[in-house]
Amino acid sequence: MGPGLLGYTVRRLLWAVPVLFVISVVVFYMMRLAPGDPVDAILGQRYQEEQAALLRKKYGYDEPIHVQYIKYMQNLAKGDLGVSTRHQQFTVSEIIIPKIWVSTRLGAIALVISFTLGILAGIYAALARGTFLDPLTISFWLAIDAIPVFVAAPALMWLFALKLDLVGLGWRGFGSVNIILPIIVLSLPGTAGVARFVRASVLGVLQEDYVRTARAKGLQERTVVFTHIARNALLPLITVIGLSLPGVAGGSLIVEQLFGIPGIGREGFDAVLAPDFDVILALVLFGSFLFVIANILIDLLYAVIDPRIRLGAARG
Amino acid sequence: MSNRMLTLMMGVVAFLILAVGVVFVVALAGGGGDDDNGSPASPSNNDDSPRSTGKGICSGKSLIVPGNDPNTVLDPIQVGDVSTSEYVVEIFGGLVTLDPELNVQPDIAQSWEVTNGGKTYTFKLRDDVVFHTGNTRRVTAEDVKYSIERAADPVNASPTVRAYLGNIVGVRDRFENKASNVSGVKVIDERTIQIDLIEPSDFFLSELTYPVAFVVDREQIESNPRNWTQKPNGTGPFRLAEFKPAERIRIVKNDRYHLGAPKLDEVIFELGGGSLLTRYENDEIHIGGFPASLLDSVKDGSNKLAKEYRAVPNMAVFYFTLNPQQPPFDDPKVRQAFAMTLDRETINSVLLYDAYRVADGFLPPDMPGYTESVHSYEYNVARAKQLLSESRYAGNMPRVVLTFSGSGAAPGDLLVAIQQGWQDALGVNIELQAIDTSAFLREQRRGTFQMHSDGWSADYPDPEDFLGKLFASDSTLNYTRYKNDEVDKLLLAARVETDRTKRYQMYAEAEQLIMDDAVVIPTFWPVDHVVVKPCVHGYPDVSMTVPKYRFVEIKAE
Repeated sequence: MGPGLLGYTVRRLLWAVPVLFVISVVVFYMMRLAPGDPVDAILGQRYQEEQAALLRKKYGYDEPIHVQYIKYMQNLAKGDLGVSTRHQQFTVSEIIIPKIWVSTRLGAIALVISFTLGILAGIYAALARGTFLDPLTISFWLAIDAIPVFVAAPALMWLFALKLDLVGLGWRGFGSVNIILPIIVLSLPGTAGVARFVRASVLGVLQEDYVRTARAKGLQERTVVFTHIARNALLPLITVIGLSLPGVAGGSLIVEQLFGIPGIGREGFDAVLAPDFDVILALVLFGSFLFVIANILIDLLYAVIDPRIRLGAARG
Repeated sequence: MSNRMLTLMMGVVAFLILAVGVVFVVALAGGGGDDDNGSPASPSNNDDSPRSTGKGICSGKSLIVPGNDPNTVLDPIQVGDVSTSEYVVEIFGGLVTLDPELNVQPDIAQSWEVTNGGKTYTFKLRDDVVFHTGNTRRVTAEDVKYSIERAADPVNASPTVRAYLGNIVGVRDRFENKASNVSGVKVIDERTIQIDLIEPSDFFLSELTYPVAFVVDREQIESNPRNWTQKPNGTGPFRLAEFKPAERIRIVKNDRYHLGAPKLDEVIFELGGGSLLTRYENDEIHIGGFPASLLDSVKDGSNKLAKEYRAVPNMAVFYFTLNPQQPPFDDPKVRQAFAMTLDRETINSVLLYDAYRVADGFLPPDMPGYTESVHSYEYNVARAKQLLSESRYAGNMPRVVLTFSGSGAAPGDLLVAIQQGWQDALGVNIELQAIDTSAFLREQRRGTFQMHSDGWSADYPDPEDFLGKLFASDSTLNYTRYKNDEVDKLLLAARVETDRTKRYQMYAEAEQLIMDDAVVIPTFWPVDHVVVKPCVHGYPDVSMTVPKYRFVEIKAE
């Protein structure tokens, strides 16, 4: 299995190259061909032809698009992501790397919380099927999911900051208690989806012969639930987790806006509106790359967890 | 046994879920219960708990205010946006500066003399101006000359040098690479510099207050040309101490500032944004801004924020441009009819909670030279209908598209109300069209819009910045190519007139003619709505970006 897995991984990674190439070309041309460019935005209403020409030259926008593209790729190969026209004081890497890191850490914490709660709630609901506790659990989480962030966040701020004075609202980094509210807002709404998924999955497993066999063997209920049911029922969840990984690094525009978090969600949004070519491109490429990686990871994990799945080492 | 175990565990899980849920529900019920417009930013409690006295942030000498991420580098010659100039005016200084009343005041220059019919300015420099670093290097006439020549150097591609310093002899030639220096800037001696202008100009000093004319440190720039703006060395009242993008900018006082050291130790600009009014109420920032939609609840007498509220005028104007090159607005009668059917008073009071000032002219009231004698058209539906029926387009009105800059979202209430008002009053169909900002700017320059939503804010406090820039037929910013010979004559004469009273008179006449032609329909003069902690003293309500933090002091009562 070892060498097969390695070969598979390498092949999948190689496939990522043309995918990223096509994405980068499409995005590059789309940005360049759309009306309006960063120079329009920089000069605004005080636009003057001579000044615009100088700026276009400075940023290289005066050259044919394919030349710009090749130059961009050459710089990318050297690890240079270009310049931001919205934060001229910093390079694109200096802008986006710290922000991606902030969003990723926040997203990861929220992901762990929402999956933990979701899995527990899902198993609970499935086992409680037939009683009122099943619909109650699921509807409770659905109700939370249904509260819009822009309602929940101000409400939480009002209660915990203004009324109870337990937390502050400004961004003070991960060591501060101020982080609690954004994490609640980021994590709780995701729980319902996971809970429903797990519930359905557990119900499916409960019908399986091996569960009946396990019970017939007289195993403790705890062992049955956590070893036989949970393990098999959670297998499909890997896809869900894997596919939400790129989203984790993507940040949340609204939450970042409301809590003043220096994350990548807001940065990406503002970059698209500006437009800020190099930041947009860097984020699109980064996002696509993450997606490819996440997909490979899911496949590999399946192979590890469920030996019945073969990765088609021979055929690819 | 095993079943009991399971039940127990399920109980624990259920408890956890419920606990989180209860907290959440309590939070929601509490937040939503006594708040009818759904926004917790309008505080409804009147308890004067100790927390709300703001002792915490009122004890030090550190002012915390919301700020914006600067777009450009902190290099005065690159600055064209308000968000960056906010910092640059505190860190750097030029020959002259603006005080909070918008009067030109000496800064690095101590005095000046105007000769040669208003075409030659000779500045005498102070002898105690030093750069931040080391506080030892004195600013000389050579530094001033270097700074202006650097601004005009085409290699640096300054976006503002032509507009602000273009009247200096030789700046354009240098910018177009036809000369290797700026001939109009001459060092007479270490403390004296002479600047020659192409044409006499009464507002030249105002232009000199703009960042592009600020003095920079040649030694620093030449030793670190790429990254000197990370720690810019200026002569302003504050120096940059910390800059974390999207988090904070911290400037600390310059003890040796020649016009008097700041009373604050530092100013911290929080760049994260977030819910400013809530953060203000939570005593995290000294000054908070809020949108007009909350104005009613903040100004409400029962709200303790009412006493801390201030309306800060903004030297800008919102307006609609009616393109005189495009039908149906090539007929002045159609333009006038539109101008007479925009009910600004009603819209401002009903829709905007009186957030703005209704613009009865083009120049904002904060502008020197503003006069109440200029009027835009009054609301008069009957007269408008009559004008429309006399117009060339009576009965065959073409499709009218009103374009605005937006990112594809639905147009705001304001535009919809205005659209509806015109449709009801004039019986014409008006379509709203959103275009994203940079494309909007590009099309606006090409003059392809029939009618668009527009705005202009002051670069320097002089009517020339509004009227000359936008309505002179030879101005590159007159995108609709509006041309009225009489207006042109007045604007040209005013540009070179050195008697201020006469100049303002001419601008007022020109402005009235422009209003009569109705190529623009001014709507509102904007106002910023802020709350300021009572312990913050001396924070000026100034309508432009000027150095202001050196006047501020924190004093707890």
